Amino acid sequence: MSDNVELKNRIFKAMAALLDDSAATVTDSTPLIGDDSALTSMKLLELCLSLEDIAEELGFEFDWTSETAMSKSRSMFRTAGALASEFLSQMASKK
Amino acid sequence: MIIVTGASKGLGRAICERLLSSGVEVFGLSRDVSKIPFESMKCDVTSYDEVKQVAQTLKRSGKKVAGLINSAGVASLNLAVTTPANVVERIIKTNLLGTIYCCQLFSPMIFRHKSGSIINFSTVGVALGLKGESIYIASKAGVEGFTRAFAREMADFNVNVNCIAPGPIDTNLIKGVTPSQIAKVVSQQIFQKQFTPEAVCDLVEILLNPKSKALSGQVLYVGGV
Repeated sequence: MSDNVELKNRIFKAMAALLDDSAATVTDSTPLIGDDSALTSMKLLELCLSLEDIAEELGFEFDWTSETAMSKSRSMFRTAGALASEFLSQMASKK
Repeated sequence: MIIVTGASKGLGRAICERLLSSGVEVFGLSRDVSKIPFESMKCDVTSYDEVKQVAQTLKRSGKKVAGLINSAGVASLNLAVTTPANVVERIIKTNLLGTIYCCQLFSPMIFRHKSGSIINFSTVGVALGLKGESIYIASKAGVEGFTRAFAREMADFNVNVNCIAPGPIDTNLIKGVTPSQIAKVVSQQIFQKQFTPEAVCDLVEILLNPKSKALSGQVLYVGGV
């Protein structure tokens, strides 16, 4: 398994740990904002803190306060896959 | 550690000194830190990027941030129709946007510990609707509204967000205000006297104390209105 796939799984695991339904699974298309969001706003912020911690462990700073963070169409929070992909992209550009 | 904006002078400086004298670790922010004798960093709160840079520096330092006091502020007392656009912008940017930016960027460092206190600053002028202060009051009314709503957003994390609204406290901020203007404002307070920075520092200490845990989203008017 490549490092990126492993890391993506770790990110999805961090999300799954925050879901109310312990049996629910996180996929690329799991929405994180909007009416169908799998997470409450509080859990979303907790997820951001978890991602900050994972990033610190990996030697970079994860920035979840960028201009695109909350834009509906381009937001890194629109789906679990988009967030994982943004995390990996920031890691690649900052390390 | 408590972050205090506007730490170089006025209320901000008085608050820093009070907290330091009580043994609280303080980190001051100001546009000019050359005369600040405690830990500080240069920061113009009207710049989102500068505030973000401070947040990143503090994060890297690994220090635990337990609170934020947004005491940076400017005032220009004038009729709305005679206030130049650049002054309007400066007041709104410093008082309202500066408070919002600091709350946005420093609060994650506070709420990650699931406790803490954020104190914003308004003025009794909001409640009194004082003539000649409309722009300043508009900026502070924004701070009060922001405080009430932000308090709800932070409540999930056990972080209290409140606002202290002083009357005319004797600092540089009101250096252009005449004694008769001060007397007029003070006469509208419940306690008809001018309070000192000490009274504000007392309230800051109360709001930072865990015993005030039940207070959030409140505006405390110094002197009462």
